Amino acid sequence: MTGGDALNLDDISQTTFYIPYKPDHNDQHKPRLPESQYQERDFPDGPDLRLAAYRKAWTKCLDRLQAIVNNLQTPVVAAVVEEVHRSYTDVLPGLPYPELPVICITDPVFGSSFLTELTNQLEPPEDAPDSLFSQTTFVTHLHPPDCGNISSAMKSIVNGFVEKETTLGKMKRKPATSLANYDITLLSTWYKALCEAEDFDVESRPNLVVFLHEFEQFDPVVMQDVFYICSTRIPDLPLVFILSTSSPTTSWLHTSYSRATLARLRVRRFALPSGTKILEDIILKTFFDVEFEPDVMIGPANIQYLQDYFTRYDSSLDKVLTILQLIHLKHSSSDPLTVLIHSTPDITSLSRPTSFNFIDSLAARLYAPSTQTPSETHAEDWRSITVPSLIQSVDEARTNFRSRARGMRVAFGFINLVQCFMVLQGYKGLGWGQQISLCDVLVDILEGSLEKDIKYLGIMVRKLRVEQLRDLLEETHLYFSNIPTEEEAQAQIASLQSILPSDDVDLSELRGQVATGLSDWLIGYLNSRLTPLEESPLWDIWYTGLSSFPSELLNPSVRASIISGLLRPHDFAERSNSDDESEQDREVELWELPDTSILFRRYLDSGKMINVYDWFESFKTVLETQVKKVKSGRGTPKKQKGRGKGKGKQKAVESEPGEGEDGEEEEKWKLEVQARFMRAMQELDYLGFVKHTGRKADHVLRLVFDVDD
Amino acid sequence: MDTTQPGYGAFTTHFSTLISTMPPAFMYINDADAIQTTISVIDNVLNHLSSAPGPSKISYARADAIACFSARLLYESVINSLASWTPQWEDAAVNWGVDNEVRWNDTFDGFVHGLRAVHAYLGKGKEEEGDMRLVVVVERAERLIPELMVPLTRLAELARVDLCVVFVSQAPWETMRPPLGASPDPYFFDIPPPTKEDVVKHLISNYSSHPSLKPLYTHFITTLCDVCYPFTHDPHELAYIAAARWPGFVKPVLDANKGDMDLDADSDSEEPFQPPSEETRMRLSRLFNPSLSLALDALYPRLQNATDWAKANEPPPNLLDNPPTTTKTAVPSDEKDAGITCLPRLSKFILLASFLASTNPPKSDLRIFGRGLDEKKKRKRRASGKSTNTKGGVTKVAQRLLGPTSFTLDRMLAILGALLEENDVDSRIHAHASEFSIPGEETDMEISRVAVYAAITELTSMRLLTRTSAVDRLDGPPTYRAAMGYEMTVSLARELDVSLGDLFWEVM
Repeated sequence: MTGGDALNLDDISQTTFYIPYKPDHNDQHKPRLPESQYQERDFPDGPDLRLAAYRKAWTKCLDRLQAIVNNLQTPVVAAVVEEVHRSYTDVLPGLPYPELPVICITDPVFGSSFLTELTNQLEPPEDAPDSLFSQTTFVTHLHPPDCGNISSAMKSIVNGFVEKETTLGKMKRKPATSLANYDITLLSTWYKALCEAEDFDVESRPNLVVFLHEFEQFDPVVMQDVFYICSTRIPDLPLVFILSTSSPTTSWLHTSYSRATLARLRVRRFALPSGTKILEDIILKTFFDVEFEPDVMIGPANIQYLQDYFTRYDSSLDKVLTILQLIHLKHSSSDPLTVLIHSTPDITSLSRPTSFNFIDSLAARLYAPSTQTPSETHAEDWRSITVPSLIQSVDEARTNFRSRARGMRVAFGFINLVQCFMVLQGYKGLGWGQQISLCDVLVDILEGSLEKDIKYLGIMVRKLRVEQLRDLLEETHLYFSNIPTEEEAQAQIASLQSILPSDDVDLSELRGQVATGLSDWLIGYLNSRLTPLEESPLWDIWYTGLSSFPSELLNPSVRASIISGLLRPHDFAERSNSDDESEQDREVELWELPDTSILFRRYLDSGKMINVYDWFESFKTVLETQVKKVKSGRGTPKKQKGRGKGKGKQKAVESEPGEGEDGEEEEKWKLEVQARFMRAMQELDYLGFVKHTGRKADHVLRLVFDVDD
Repeated sequence: MDTTQPGYGAFTTHFSTLISTMPPAFMYINDADAIQTTISVIDNVLNHLSSAPGPSKISYARADAIACFSARLLYESVINSLASWTPQWEDAAVNWGVDNEVRWNDTFDGFVHGLRAVHAYLGKGKEEEGDMRLVVVVERAERLIPELMVPLTRLAELARVDLCVVFVSQAPWETMRPPLGASPDPYFFDIPPPTKEDVVKHLISNYSSHPSLKPLYTHFITTLCDVCYPFTHDPHELAYIAAARWPGFVKPVLDANKGDMDLDADSDSEEPFQPPSEETRMRLSRLFNPSLSLALDALYPRLQNATDWAKANEPPPNLLDNPPTTTKTAVPSDEKDAGITCLPRLSKFILLASFLASTNPPKSDLRIFGRGLDEKKKRKRRASGKSTNTKGGVTKVAQRLLGPTSFTLDRMLAILGALLEENDVDSRIHAHASEFSIPGEETDMEISRVAVYAAITELTSMRLLTRTSAVDRLDGPPTYRAAMGYEMTVSLARELDVSLGDLFWEVM
């Protein structure tokens, strides 16, 4: 809106104005990472480079996750697809009437990824020939809003099929004299014509699949008629219903539908895997798998949070992915050093003066004085640092960390193998996956507190019988032979295997020798590998360590966040660069707060009922202080904006009453105070803090009482 | 008619005589027990009559009142099937008689004209014009759309052709008769429930497998009907159970027979095998009789479908070879539904809290859940308000029997907080974080988290909670009602290690 089009906001004949959003084109639209906490020692292009590094790391992780998820759901998808195809061939002989095949899928975890996969398999897109079955099916998707009443439900089903692109082409229906578009006879007619045109026989004809999404939301009264009508047309019209439900209980169908309806259906149930098993699988295969190397390793605190959130609040897959993504994002945005995740910038960019802070912090980390070394050598170290040597050390640290992490993964695979072997042999083992959840084990490993378990495992190995030892050695050999980097372990196992003779002559001595050898080696090997990752230099670039997950971002407590937002609005505002440290920490005066916060402070001081006039008076006093303070100290740092509300205040400050105590100015000021009060009170009203009761004139009811009060 | 349905002899004769001679304009057939069978009998009779050679022809149409959920569908299906017209896709699926440029699927008047047109069309070529008789059968008439009820019952006088309307319904006419005598009284048929003997005869007549097993099947059906007939008279249901149990029942016999065949392989294998001996039959009965009532339990409410039940309860191979004493009776094992255990922990607590909120009266909350600062861990509650309302008046029915009441979201959250404070504090990862100094503060944070509200909505969409207030109502707290049963709640409480008994106001 420019020029003559400008809005006349004073036009009293209008009740509302539309002010279109005009984005500022000077703004940067590129996504940026939030500024790091240690911004002062950031690399010049730090945020952009770190964003790129984050993207690379997360994409790698996500691809892996999706592959795992796919593996988990594929068996069920295949089973459902097969069931759809067999619906009309696998029928019990001697049934008094044909039943309508219904497939009920229970899926509390996977959600849309499963449904998409299933749909793709049932009705493969044109360019994907690799479906599980060559046989085609026609699928129509129905959502709860489509089925408000019986005609619209039938119309969606019939149209869903009839309007598909087939060899038949579109029909020129005459609305008045043709069959109604909600008549199932129309569908029969279409299907008959289709079978004739495509030359399908009874065996090869395609099934018609009706996919009901979020089945619990459908109105049972409508659906029972739909089922009835469809069941009168089978088996001439091979309809198959797929019900997608998220409810974990199976009694839902029985409580909502009558027996007469259920008698017409043949319900088969398929349940997707659910529970903590899935989370364990995902974490294990992403971060503790020998075949996959994550760019960023997650720490014990994050694993704990993930497990807690999954078992306590929401066990959906989407949430797991979100949390993992947030972990990556937070890791990349918190420390400037994470720019080095994949590679080190070249010498030229590091030698620029702007990078000095970055270099300094890096060098400080790499050559930090350890407690043992005397200061002279330390000083010498510092002198010898050059940029190329720094780059070299960083690269070394990266290789070092990677190999250490790999070593840990291999060792975990090994200890898991031994533990599973023990369980298979009928021993108690370490109780992993039974008494102790696997996530806790992973936390223990990362914290390096697994010595007890390793020792216990060593003792158990020592007591194995000859055949068991032989089997264990065989399995171990197989495990290590697939890992080229573990030559030492391979040699060790091979030598132990060679000692153990193949016949069962009296072997008590040899057995003891081998068992002790294996046990000692096992303890030594595991103890050397399962050490905390924090021990390698610059570990915090590739490992999130003990840094906790920002849980308040994902799962805030609504009331607490609102109240703290009102009490400490400045904590939520964007920090401006010019602020110095002391500014950050000092207590903010009441008059510096935005209007709503001022009003809220006064609100907290009040009793159960608030007299609005008193409230207004106290608010006015604060505003007057504000004006005075601003006037007296023009030089004081500019106030920060608090959540947009500050804007009005800034303006207000500019238009403060003139010094001349002019009556007109005074009037204007009063009006302004009143307007600001009304606006702030409306905000609190909107947030649900006050209730208007007619009980007492000029009073409102206070609804929120702080715990601290 | 060569094969009459057992038990329907009298009805068949009566009905077919009426239809072929002087049918009343409106008939009402009521069968509460076996409507499917009755419909097929009527269908048979009419089919037989309409294809019979002779001067007077009968054309009939069946319309299902549930399938014909709009007037247009009823008109179209009646007229098309009277005229034996099948719409073709190639001709844009047009209805019968479009050439005449008449539309008869929009109003009842049009429909009457259509009927007359059909009558004229069918009567063409006959010696006399009025020689055609139309019969319209409306199944499940209790579900007929109300505005069509009166005109349909008077269809003959409105159309002024030789026409007879037959209503078939599970409900008696009295429950659906239009008021003020708008409809003429029909000619009634009441079909009695099928007797056990008739059902047995009917089921046996449908047998179409190996002829030498027929005696065994007869025996099987008789036993089955002995067990199941008291619970359902519907031949379809009994046939359904029979279809599920028969494959398992006959399997040992087939197995034994196969074994015999293998033994004397050189003998003539073409010869059909011998029907099982009396002793085998007794053993089979003894083995399978207990499973018949279990089949009824699982199959009649359709807790499982027949195919899956038959598969799950297949007897072990060569059952008859085992010595009789060691053979365990073929009783199926029932498995437990473990679905609810995989809900997140907080959702379970929410379900528990909502069940309590739905069962306990609001005034009792403070007494049950209220704890002072010092007695946080102590449960101070006497058994319950047993003594309330004992003298005089009507005894109060337990709330559990009256069904769940609705509760406001806030109340449920408060109960949730009380439950969490007593049972969940130790399982938190940041247990006893230093930032919370006041007892219960952390729980207070916990119950107002976004995930809690999300979980409530999620549970509502799973129908484990029912929202009783309108979704678009913004003012006032939303109200809900628990949709879980007592048993499920108890199992949830056991899983969460909550002692539920103390938390009910009334003794359960």
